[in-house]
Amino acid sequence: MFRPQPNAEAAAIRPTEPLVRVEGVTKNFGGVRALRGVSLEVRPGEVHALLGENGAGKSTLIKILSGVHACDSGTIEIAGQPVAFDGPAKSRAAGIAVVYQDLSLVESLSVAANMMLGREPLTRFGFLRKQKLMAEAGAFLKRHGIQLDPRAIVGSLPFAYRQMTEISKALMGDARVLILDEPTSSLTSDEVQVLFDAIARVTSRGVGVIYVTHRLDEVFQISQRVTVLRDGANVGTFVTPETDMKRLVAAIVGPGHADQTATPEPVASAVLAGKPAPAISLFRVSNDRLSGVDLTVSKGEIHGLAGLIGSGRTEILETIFGLRRVESGEIAVDGQPQPLRTPTEAIEQGIALVPEDRHVQGLILEHSIERNVALARLRRFARWGWMQQGAAAKDAATVIRKLAVKAPGPSSLVKTLSGGNQQKVVFAKWSNPPPRVLLLDEPTVGVDVGAREEIYSVIRNAAGAGAGVLVVSSDLAELLLLCDRISLVVEGRIVTTLSRGAIANAEELHHLLQLTQAEDQRPPYELSA
Amino acid sequence: MIDLIASRITALSTPAPNRLQKLLQVLLRGERPYMLYIAFVVLLIVFSLSSPWFLSVDNFMNIGRQTTLVSIVAVGMTFIIIARQIDLSVASTLALSGMAAALAMANVHNHWIVGAVAGLGTGALVGLLNGILTTQLAIPSFLVTLGTLSMARGLAMMVTNTKPVIITNETYFAIFGEGSFLGVPAPIAWTLASTIVGILLLHYNIFGRRIYAVGGNPTAALYSGIRTRQVTTLAFVLTGMLAGLAALVLSARSHAARPDVVQGMELDVIASVILGGCSLFGGRGFILGTLLGSLIIGTLNNGLVLLGVSSPMQLVIKGAIIIAAVAFTKR
Repeated sequence: MFRPQPNAEAAAIRPTEPLVRVEGVTKNFGGVRALRGVSLEVRPGEVHALLGENGAGKSTLIKILSGVHACDSGTIEIAGQPVAFDGPAKSRAAGIAVVYQDLSLVESLSVAANMMLGREPLTRFGFLRKQKLMAEAGAFLKRHGIQLDPRAIVGSLPFAYRQMTEISKALMGDARVLILDEPTSSLTSDEVQVLFDAIARVTSRGVGVIYVTHRLDEVFQISQRVTVLRDGANVGTFVTPETDMKRLVAAIVGPGHADQTATPEPVASAVLAGKPAPAISLFRVSNDRLSGVDLTVSKGEIHGLAGLIGSGRTEILETIFGLRRVESGEIAVDGQPQPLRTPTEAIEQGIALVPEDRHVQGLILEHSIERNVALARLRRFARWGWMQQGAAAKDAATVIRKLAVKAPGPSSLVKTLSGGNQQKVVFAKWSNPPPRVLLLDEPTVGVDVGAREEIYSVIRNAAGAGAGVLVVSSDLAELLLLCDRISLVVEGRIVTTLSRGAIANAEELHHLLQLTQAEDQRPPYELSA
Repeated sequence: MIDLIASRITALSTPAPNRLQKLLQVLLRGERPYMLYIAFVVLLIVFSLSSPWFLSVDNFMNIGRQTTLVSIVAVGMTFIIIARQIDLSVASTLALSGMAAALAMANVHNHWIVGAVAGLGTGALVGLLNGILTTQLAIPSFLVTLGTLSMARGLAMMVTNTKPVIITNETYFAIFGEGSFLGVPAPIAWTLASTIVGILLLHYNIFGRRIYAVGGNPTAALYSGIRTRQVTTLAFVLTGMLAGLAALVLSARSHAARPDVVQGMELDVIASVILGGCSLFGGRGFILGTLLGSLIIGTLNNGLVLLGVSSPMQLVIKGAIIIAAVAFTKR
């Protein structure tokens, strides 16, 4: 157990008194009412989950708590004291720390240097006292039971450990309230466990945690209470053990959407029962990251790739898409061997990739939906090299309607859309002509519940139209929901392929991954180093 | 009754403005360069008030002629900067291309086509070298073109041991320097031609779409099947060729090619593009803005001379203006 630190401010808080109390907060942006009277209460030592679709007001609330925005009306109290933040510095001084999705660490520096960034121990002449820095950071990590090497360079660490560095940094600045914004969106299940352990240790010392997520199972794993927002207002606050998944989903999506979470049968079971023709086949494909990958995805099949980060899942997709060289082995599309040396060649063969990071790899955020959607098939909209502007605009309008992208029109800038709608735009790039092979890398990361279901149906429709779909996902439940077959990837190899029926549930798949992983001696992150 | 007439009038008058609006939308890329207009007008007013010589047809023709070289090269630089690159070698490329054109006519065959091919070809070759070094060796174009800036200038001086080469071809003078096309003096006609080709390529051609994509997000462009290296290299080749064209215009005007001309012109070219609303972070900009930007730079050069500002002081002022323009356009 951890003894509470002798901290005068922390001691002043009685355990029953809320650490943070937000009361009737409103916020308008121009004519848009982002928050219309939101209340939230976080107690010391509590993990309080914050749920809601994109656009429900979660981010706005976080930004108000962190001092980025000022609220229009309503009150915020920290430990019983009313506060008014006029900037992030004030919020930080009041003990609120936010760990954002895109971390704010200096990758070239050590864990210790990052933790003490801006408050490094210095000599009288302003030189860094490196030993003291390491010792202080090390002692702090040890006291909190956080398994991090203070000397490790942040850039070489797996994502979960970077996140823990960020959390440690926040705690070292005497944070009393920790806001985690979708912290698990790019973690593997092992890494999630590491993060949850760290959260448990932190809360046992009286820190309150506001936990923003799209993953409902996590809410039940770590939170004591849940607050659901919809359209900028509270739907309700629930005591976690007294509620269930169904009730939360209903609260999030609102009336009339409850049926969407029903689980349809994987589409291609029937196709697989017959004699399937391969959409894409890999024969002993090797390169710097893959060693002898054998894989066949049939037409109409949704095939999952499960594995830890760094296992080579993403690299299999990248190799098929021509982003990585095939050093030995062969890839056949529709039964024909193809060289696939560049993405251009892969696209010509009807291969499409929805990449892992849509902001970096999938979209040009500063450009319009129309320009983004046309990007992968400019030639179709050009005659002798001259753009047929009308045709491109018409096509964009059609796909926007087909995929139900919520936007004022084809000329809206992609950066103004929510995460789910941005992801739909990435799918729209590949919707016409229908791809022969659809490669998906974490297709629903940062996508809200409603849009997630829509994206699943886009994927199922693509398979229904005869595409071979290959999905990488860290969300094992998602793989089980979508896939006809699942292959386990370890160290650049496919160790086994299972049909959907052979796996009972996500836990079993998780155990299988653990088992196959245990057979390999090296820990996963040494691979990526 | 009045309503009816009013509706008739709007019904009659809408189609034309719509088409015009659409054209403007494409040409301005959705940007509203008010700052640019204001800056231009303020400059005109200040100079008109302070110099009696400024506000005259002759002087404006003068500005147009002096600006041609910058305007022509700036069209290419717009493509480069939208594609998130920079080309510092344009002035040296211009000098080397001029030498190549004059030497080809003097030594190979005294025909204007020989000179034009040699000049444009040399410019294109330097551009190709810039493009290949930047994309294949992944050296930042800032450093590559800093190197070729020095190399091209050195070569231009080496070929004749720094002596100018005289040109004697009258047709060459007429086509590129002293003649006129439909009443428009040749240098200005070439500026307009480059601008129109630039507009067509950037705003109406598949190449333009690719340039914007490569500059807007190179990774996403690659993942969308765009050959980003090829597109970037082509932008450098285009700029090199336009530097070659500017060399033809300059040498036809002075009846000779000199290896030491237009030193430091890259400053004016880059300033025009940035003033014209291109983002140095790539993915944004438009050709008409660049033309206006180069006219502002030209007016500034001209006005400062008329005001009797010393040429060292002119350099200081121009440098400050570039920094101010970037500060305003930065996102």
